[in-house]
Amino acid sequence: MAGIGLRLPHLMEIAATCPPVEWVEIHPENFLANPHATELLLEVSRRYPVSVHTVGISIGSAEEIDLEHVNRLRRLVDAVDPVLVSGHLAWSTHGGAYLNDLLPLPYTAEALRVATDHVRQVQDALGREYLIENPSTYVGFSTSTMGEAEFLSELAARTGCRILCDVSNVHLSGHNMGYDPYEFLDRLPPGAIGELHLGGFTPEDDDASPGAELLVDTHATPIAEPVWQLYAHALRRFGAVPTIVEWDNDLPPLATLLQEASRAGAVRDQALESHHAAAR
Amino acid sequence: MLPLAELQHRVRQAVVAADDRAIAPLLVGGGDGRTRLGIHRRHYHTSLATAVIERFPATGWLAGSALVSDAAQAFVVAHPPSRPCLAEYGEEFPAFLAARVDAAGLPYLRAFADLEWQIGRLSLAVTAPALTLADLQSIEPSRLADLSLALQPDVAYVHAPWNLDELMRIYLSDRAPDRFVLRDEDVRLELRGARGGLQITRLERAVFVFREGVQRGQALADAAMAACEADSAFDAGGALSSLIADGLLTAARAPGKDGEA
Ligand SMILES: [Fe+2]
Repeated sequence: MAGIGLRLPHLMEIAATCPPVEWVEIHPENFLANPHATELLLEVSRRYPVSVHTVGISIGSAEEIDLEHVNRLRRLVDAVDPVLVSGHLAWSTHGGAYLNDLLPLPYTAEALRVATDHVRQVQDALGREYLIENPSTYVGFSTSTMGEAEFLSELAARTGCRILCDVSNVHLSGHNMGYDPYEFLDRLPPGAIGELHLGGFTPEDDDASPGAELLVDTHATPIAEPVWQLYAHALRRFGAVPTIVEWDNDLPPLATLLQEASRAGAVRDQALESHHAAAR
Repeated sequence: MLPLAELQHRVRQAVVAADDRAIAPLLVGGGDGRTRLGIHRRHYHTSLATAVIERFPATGWLAGSALVSDAAQAFVVAHPPSRPCLAEYGEEFPAFLAARVDAAGLPYLRAFADLEWQIGRLSLAVTAPALTLADLQSIEPSRLADLSLALQPDVAYVHAPWNLDELMRIYLSDRAPDRFVLRDEDVRLELRGARGGLQITRLERAVFVFREGVQRGQALADAAMAACEADSAFDAGGALSSLIADGLLTAARAPGKDGEA
């Protein structure tokens, strides 16, 4: 399946016109305090498979996760009955404040313990499997004792959660942090990959390294060519994993998103066809 | 090794308060990890200040976008969100804005921004099926006085000391008159807004007291008594009928377990 991230400005249009798209993904935090949007979402969920992708469950926070938020999420999930529910390998709350960002974790034994406990709590509270997405990274910590792929793989092994592999994040983080994105994908456990993401990023001057470029995960642009190539590699390695195209800022007309999703479908068909042909 | 909680405290300081001295030695990435962490700081400030500004467009129109934008930048530092649903973020902004030195000449600003907050909140609401007179007839007359009523989720009652409803209508109509006089005047408003369909109605003082009391959960008799104090000619029966006729009533609960309509 290839689908789109469904944002509020497109919600009414999707509900009214039912365009051809294989599935959609929503951020529940846009709906939990918005009964009008939830009403429209329930209509949409009767026509399309829906994925619920949380941005507000801070599984990486040293403090307790917000169980009230998880319980609100549970009520929405029960109503929508999504095909997947996912969140992020990141943290966003500290000292009672929600920092509205997916902040980086140190990859340490303590952080792994914390994330493991929190993923288990979320899965228990939702009564469903959860998927965890690899982050877009600009900065890390000298205290890390393992790599991101190892951390994610271990988290999946300990909790039974699966991995949402954001291919654009792999490309962007590899560029920003200086590693090979193809090798990163090859270190993830193929059986644990439950979903792929593709999204646009924006190059900026890297202030600290004159002449160098930093990639910022803006979700405000079309998917870049090197990401399409990396996506084909991911499909050959992980199989026909359902994919979502994300676009959050400078939102284009819905038709543009649908075109990106159909390109994802075409890349998938071609990558798997050539892969199978090579195997024959 | 630095405990995770302490590391996150230091990152929070860098992101919210722009103080990255404590976290800097631990950062890796690029030529200088602090500039990389600055991407998160920028995202925090820009995304939240934008959310606040977009929540208060009428207030920006009234007070000037520079004033509201400066206040929003300061607000996100002083009041980080406590929950991840941004539709719930900004309720304290009217008081924060009004307390700023540059808003001192605008005594009506807080009430206007509060009005805008309520309108924004109601626009996300939906309506529930309304009760009819027949639904209430299942309740024994002797228990009516103790009844507590639930009103539609898309209604709010706002008391303002100026004719701010007229000002809001001007903003919403997008037609500025040559001259507008803000009068020192008690206005009592009923706002309804389900699915973005805003209605602003001025209420008589007693009707406002009654409806607002009912919404706060006062028993029917207590709300009616308060309304009578506001106006001795208040007609409680008529007021209850008009709540029903306006489609405002969604549930009625009498003390005891079997008295629900
Ligand atoms: Fe993603």
